[in-house]
Amino acid sequence: MSHIHRTNLELIKNGIFGENTIFRMAISLCPSIAVTNSLKNGIALGVAVVFVQTMVNVTVSAIRNFIHPKIRIPIYMLIIAGYVTIIDMLMSTYFRAIYAQIGLYIQIIVAFASIFARAEVFASKNKLVPSFMDGFGMGVGFLLAMVVISFFREFLGKGELFGFTIVAGKPLLIMILPAGGFLAVGLLMGFFNWVDIKFFGGKGASGVR
Amino acid sequence: MTSKDMVKVTFNLVVIYLVGGLILAVVYGITSPIKFQKEKAEKEAALLTMIPEADKIEKLGDWESHKKHAEYYVGQKCDEVKVKIVTDEKTGKEREEKECINPEGIGYIVEGFGKGYSSYIHVLSSVDKNFLVKKINILGHGETPGLGDEIEKDYFLTQFVGKDVDGLEVVKAETQEKIQAITGATISSRAVAEDGVKNGVKMLKERMSGKEQG
Repeated sequence: MSHIHRTNLELIKNGIFGENTIFRMAISLCPSIAVTNSLKNGIALGVAVVFVQTMVNVTVSAIRNFIHPKIRIPIYMLIIAGYVTIIDMLMSTYFRAIYAQIGLYIQIIVAFASIFARAEVFASKNKLVPSFMDGFGMGVGFLLAMVVISFFREFLGKGELFGFTIVAGKPLLIMILPAGGFLAVGLLMGFFNWVDIKFFGGKGASGVR
Repeated sequence: MTSKDMVKVTFNLVVIYLVGGLILAVVYGITSPIKFQKEKAEKEAALLTMIPEADKIEKLGDWESHKKHAEYYVGQKCDEVKVKIVTDEKTGKEREEKECINPEGIGYIVEGFGKGYSSYIHVLSSVDKNFLVKKINILGHGETPGLGDEIEKDYFLTQFVGKDVDGLEVVKAETQEKIQAITGATISSRAVAEDGVKNGVKMLKERMSGKEQG
């Protein structure tokens, strides 16, 4: 993974497509299964992640030259925990209805591999603006993945979108159960690999880049 | 690790803790009063929707449901409501205070918890003077999305209206006298009907009838 000479746009695109957290890197999969049983929850968590990921990248990048390398990991942890606590307080105050449903998962953002990985791999070695773009791109990539997965799960499992009934009955109940989460993530990951290989001449998410 | 490293590590950590702590304190200072007020207002609004005819909801006492603290209330109808302007002693601000003339209890509200499939279901139930259920409100739960969370839906909750303690029993077939379980969520349905609501109404009935006799 080299990050030299990439424009801002390329950095954002990389986060959304090239190194998409869920579909390409296959990290932070727990929330992609835990909260994607409804579109509303998926989007709310995705937005929270965009905020935390961007802010953590910016902060880590800003203080990267002052941090002793031996304690960089605990410092990243503190920064992530700080931002997560902030967004937790904000959401529990101003978005109470959504928070009642996804509050638990907001706190779990602390342990997100994707945020941690970008702080270590990218932000600790790059300047402020590219780090911002990278964090934002990765966050949006995560958000989009959440939207796609929760769209299929809510629609197929409940016949609803945003809680509004589209199809009466429950076409494929298993899709909103945890098992359906694995199915949805796996099938969608396969689909995006297929698109990548078929139309863009890529190698798919084989782990070799 | 040289002593220079040690100084730098200590300095790093102290600065991060101080700055982080300061930011968190500021955010907490701004949000917590708003949150507290919203929580209070939400609770009051939730209580009033339970007995809409009531002019005043008054706390009667506390009880324990699954070792959790719960409260119960009486809904009162007044012959006349007088609005007084009272000056708050501490802040000096004027606020409205309602005075109830000849309050008459028209129903009770009880808070309770039911042990569900994956969580304790926090439920508010209101009954009329004869302890027939008027309304059920699910305040919070952590049941399986898509299955257990159907307990929030109206088609399930409207079944409770008009039931007495004996009617609060879950059956798996279509029924008029009892409560019909949600498909795939029998445990959650039981937790609401036979645990949260039934125990609450039972407790109310015992305490209230005991009070009238004594």
